[in-house]
Order: sequence, then structure tokens, then C-alpha cells
Amino acid sequence: MNFRTITRMFGRPAGFALAAVLGLALTAPTGVEAKQRKELAIQDQPGYVPTPQEEMLPPQYRPQPVYFRTNEAPGTIVIHTDERFLYLVQDGGRAIRYGIGVGRDGFQWQGLQKVSRKQEWPDWRPPPEMIQRQPYLPRFMAGGPGNPMGARALYLGDTIYRIHGTNQPQTIGYAVSSGCFRLVNRDVIDLFNRVPVGTKVVILQSAKL
Amino acid sequence: MTRKVWPVAGALVALGVMAAPAGAGTLDTVKERGRLLCGVNTGLGGFSAPDDAGAWSGFDVDFCKAVAVAVLDDAGKVDYVPLTTAERFEALKSGKVDILSRNSTWTMGRETGFGLTFVGITYYDGQGFMVPRAANVFSALELDGSKVCVQGGTTTEANLHDYFTANNMAYEAVVTASPAESLAAYGDGRCNVITSDMSQLYAERLKLADADEHIVLPDAISKEPLGPAVRMDDPDWALLAKWVYFALLNAEELGVASDTVDEALSSGKPEVRRLVGLEGSFGEEMGLTKDWAARMIKAVGNYGEIYERNLGVDSPLGIPRGMNQLWSRGGIQYAPPIR
Repeated sequence: MNFRTITRMFGRPAGFALAAVLGLALTAPTGVEAKQRKELAIQDQPGYVPTPQEEMLPPQYRPQPVYFRTNEAPGTIVIHTDERFLYLVQDGGRAIRYGIGVGRDGFQWQGLQKVSRKQEWPDWRPPPEMIQRQPYLPRFMAGGPGNPMGARALYLGDTIYRIHGTNQPQTIGYAVSSGCFRLVNRDVIDLFNRVPVGTKVVILQSAKL
Repeated sequence: MTRKVWPVAGALVALGVMAAPAGAGTLDTVKERGRLLCGVNTGLGGFSAPDDAGAWSGFDVDFCKAVAVAVLDDAGKVDYVPLTTAERFEALKSGKVDILSRNSTWTMGRETGFGLTFVGITYYDGQGFMVPRAANVFSALELDGSKVCVQGGTTTEANLHDYFTANNMAYEAVVTASPAESLAAYGDGRCNVITSDMSQLYAERLKLADADEHIVLPDAISKEPLGPAVRMDDPDWALLAKWVYFALLNAEELGVASDTVDEALSSGKPEVRRLVGLEGSFGEEMGLTKDWAARMIKAVGNYGEIYERNLGVDSPLGIPRGMNQLWSRGGIQYAPPIR
């Protein structure tokens, strides 16, 4: 259930910049080279277990310490959706930067959330909208290798969204047709071990025109 | 379009003191010539380098292109003049180039000594450290007791000493004669840390067989502000170059990119409208057209696009934005507003 349509978001509390979401959905540029380069048309592959080679990301998407000047306290997660990077703020003007994949049309809001729950090897229940689009998907899949939710999940507030692992490492660095914020399993395990429940999560989009 | 007359510069030309291009006004000279003469590095991956067919590309090259589009409406109308470290400032001073876009560090002495002015810090560089990823080191302050490869007789060596001493850390300097020797020593395990300017470390990293297994730490221990420079005697030209840089930054901040600039032309946001020339006459006041910035962004992209394409996530170097991220997103790149 890492994917919901916009209609689902109507039920969400204020602060989700609904207008912006709708505006984006309606005016999203099409056939644009730079954006396409960062999008990936791929379906979920439940049951697929990636090889260690596949999980070896290009160097720029592997975790690394970077300069990061912010007013957010160490321990805060800051996600730059358009950059495809998640920053875990450290002291001394630094952050650990992780490469991520982001949802193309399911997660276009910006704002503040908190990690409300942590789950190892989460189960997967594709939402009805997703079943409708991909009828062959299972209605339920127990957590484990091959599960599209990957090795760990961090639930964001009371939303349906999560920071989770993936069994599709090739989606890191891209916006994919479904999915929230996904990291390769090794990285999501690393992040999971560094952040407690209650961690602040700041999500930033590029400026709207 | 009318240009200001520079009586002082004119008088100096009459006296034969100043090179002709400066006296005539660089902007007019470039327009008449129909080509921009841009001084670049002879070959530095990511910043400026020619390909096999002689086509130049890189972060510094894209700045030349941005200026060429603003002035001549054609990114191809640039004559690249490769310059060595020794000849670069003299080449600018003598009028051999209109602008120097050649990974040059902005220092006081260079402005006062060469009669030139830097237009901005397009790339914040600084001395840093590269370590094996497996060392699990996240900060330069964790390098106590390291063996550090450093080129001898350089300011790099002095900075290294100062940094470790100031932070009460022990280290053993493995002094080498060249960057290549440092890299070889690091590869052989004769040192477990290598220090140089960070952009240089990223370039060196690519030469390691297991490049992915090494990281450059985020800490800069010296200031190496790189940017384009122009002659001091033509403030109009300096202003134009400066606002080319600022417009590229502002574009990124406002979400105006090569693929969104057309959409931006129907934006209702005043800041966006001024940038793309729908409001105000900022372009005309510089001797350009109203849509100077829009054309530029369409042709070369905004600052972030230029960065990622040449140095960042879309380039082999893979240098994180770091200090060169926008001020609002974790870095220190900050442009005054267009208004």
C-alpha cells in the first residue's frame, strides 16, 4: 500500500497543499526531456529478489556524508524530492545523504511529518486503486525478501505514506509510477537503525511556478 | 539600445594605455564581433574540456554559453581560448578574452594586482579529505592518527598541518611530489587519507579502480572560491556577467528550468515574471533584450541543471551539491533578487 491516488488525499488533513497537488497533476509538463530522464515507467514486481549487484547503486546514490547547512536539529530527516535525496541531519553542518526513489503522482506535497511507527519487513497490501490498475497483484503479501516494501518501513504520521525499502534497486534516483520514498534495503536498514519513532521528517519540493 | 560612454576609459585608450576592447565597451565589442571570447581551462574534466571533435563542455564552459545566449542569443557563438594558469589573468587584462571562466580562485591580490574583478562565486571549493568508505569516517575531526598523503611544498601541506594541530589531532604526513604520486601512495595503502582541493579529489577518485569505495568528506578546511572574472575597467560588462550568474541561481530557486521555462512564461508569480522578462525592463537596462534570462535558461538550464550535468549527480564526478546547494536547501549559494 505504498501508492494511493489523489482522490485518497482529499481525506487527508490540511497542510497537504491539495491545490498544489491538483495543479501539478493538471499542469505537469509532458514530453519534457529533463523530467523524463528522471522518471521510470515500471510496475511493481512482487516476489522478485534483487541480486547483490543490482543493489550496488551508482556511487552518487550511495549513502555519504555531505555538507548540509540547516536550522533543523541533528536527527531530522529532510527529503528533497526533486533531487532524489534524503538527508539525515548531523551536527556540525553535515548530513548523511541517501539516494531515494520517489512517487511520481502519489506524493507531491511538501511539509512536515513525524515518524509514527517503525516496522521490520512490513507486509504489503496493495490499495484497491492499485489492484484495479494491476489486477494480477496479490491482495496481501507477507513481509520478506521479494516484498516491494523491502526490509524496513518508517510510517509518516497518520498518512498512508512511508519511507521504505524496495526490491527494485534500479528505481533509486527516479520518480516511479507507484511508491512513496524508497531506499535500497541496505540503506533503509541503516536509516532505520539511526532514527527513532518521533523523528521529524521535512519534505521539500521544487518551487511551483 | 544606448550604451553609456566611458570618458575615462576613452581617454586611456587615446593615451594607448588600455587595450582597445575595454575602451569600446566589451558588450558592444562582443555584439559587433558576433562572438564571445571566453578564457577556459586547457582541460579539466567537469569544468572545461574539449571532446574528440573539439566541442567544449563543462561547468565553466556553460557559463560562457550562458553569457553568449544572453548577449548573442546563441550558445554556439563562443570562441573558447584555452589558457594555462600562468597566462590566464594577463590574457584577460590584455583583452585577449572578454571573460575568464576558468576555475580561478577569487583572492584580494588577484583583483588589486591584475585590474580585474570577480563576478561571483559560482563554485565553492576548499581543501578536503578522501578516505575509504569502509573506514566509516563521517567527519574530518575523526581523522586523528591518520597517515595523510599530501603534495609537498604547497599551501595544501600547510593547511593540513594547521588543521590537525588546531584540532589536537596527530597525523603522519606522507609527502609526495605530485597528485599522481599521492594517488598511487593512497592506492598502495601507504596512506589512508589523501588531501587536496575537494573538486580535485573527486577527479582523482575516478582514477581509482574501486572509485565507488572511496568518499570525500564534507569538511572544507580552506576557502577556494571559484568564479568568472572580467576586467575592472568595464563595470557595465561586469554587471552583466554578475547578473547572468544571479539569474541562473534565481531561476533554480524559483523552479524555472530548461523544461519549465515555457510554463514560467504564463506564471502569475511576480518574481518569476520579472526573471523571464514579463515585467520590468531589467534586460534592456543591461543592453540586452527583455527575455535575456528566459533564453539563457532555455538554452543552458538553471544553475542546478548546469551543476548536476557537469559536476553532480548526472556526471561521472558525482560531486554532491554541498556548499553549492542553494542557501534555502542546505548550501550557501545565494543570489540577490531581481527587482
